[in-house]
Amino acid sequence: MRDEPADTELTEELRQIAARIEPVPPRLLQAAVEAFTWRTIDADLAELVFDSLADDRETALVRGSQHDRLLSFRAGDLAIEVEVGTAGSARSLIGQLDPPQRATVDIRHSGGVVTLQADELGRFSADSLPVGPVSLRCALAGTGPPVVTEWVPI
Amino acid sequence: MDSDEIGVLAKAAAGGDAAAWAALVERFSGLIWSVTRAYRLGSADAADVFQTTWLRLAEHIGRLDHPEYVGAWLATTARREALRMARASTRVVPTDDETVFDTGQAADPTPEQAVLDSERAHQLWRAFRQLPDRCQMLLRLLIAAPAPSYAEVAAAIDRPIGSIGPSRARCLRLLRELLPA
Repeated sequence: MRDEPADTELTEELRQIAARIEPVPPRLLQAAVEAFTWRTIDADLAELVFDSLADDRETALVRGSQHDRLLSFRAGDLAIEVEVGTAGSARSLIGQLDPPQRATVDIRHSGGVVTLQADELGRFSADSLPVGPVSLRCALAGTGPPVVTEWVPI
Repeated sequence: MDSDEIGVLAKAAAGGDAAAWAALVERFSGLIWSVTRAYRLGSADAADVFQTTWLRLAEHIGRLDHPEYVGAWLATTARREALRMARASTRVVPTDDETVFDTGQAADPTPEQAVLDSERAHQLWRAFRQLPDRCQMLLRLLIAAPAPSYAEVAAAIDRPIGSIGPSRARCLRLLRELLPA
């Protein structure tokens, strides 16, 4: 189908109006530029394979409800299970590496990084995290590359 | 900017070129923001989806099968995150809610009156808001700035590229019918 000149003109008029009424907030543009600095090189990416909010329709969890949210990430043979708790406007994480092992875990969030140690059972936890995107970077005790999870808003 | 130029930028960014990354941000932020508008997320959820989409790309930029289609990748990622958020959140706003105009700066929302100076602009936006949801959704994506490709719009709403042109023509025809004669 051809684009009529009048349609092109009308679309451009709407584009100018939308740009004035609902522009991209400048602070978000700045955050997008800065997202580049979170890039990790030579890390294995652990993909999000389960999210109880999105995948568990039966329990129909609601963000911000009393129920904890469960996230599962996987990279090769390593699984990272995370329970997200809610306390007012703060979030807490309880994590488990499977197979269980010691690791240094960086919790990367919009306000910075929290570094933790997973114990010999692969357990770690953090609280008082801000709402927003979060990603875990796990440096395992062995010699392999670190594993980073995909970013997920909590 | 054609797909070859975008592919060059994406590959340069994958190699660590921060200026190339900033150019991608400039090119595609309007598209991603329009996805959050199209799915009618509240400002906090829209901000989360926007940031998550760019952070996802930062991790994936060196792993893209088709760097030249990074725009469609971003649109797809933003759509999935927007749907996840819409399902999860209690903050989704209904169609005719005034907060549709929230710009994400809750403390300082931009009132429609303050930014639209001409009667024509007011009429046009009022008519736009009276369109059926599917038309508002499609047009919000198409009027992102800079203008997205049909492939990017198709990725943002998970519909065939071939349907975008005809749907656009139909929605603009409806829009004209809603305008004062």
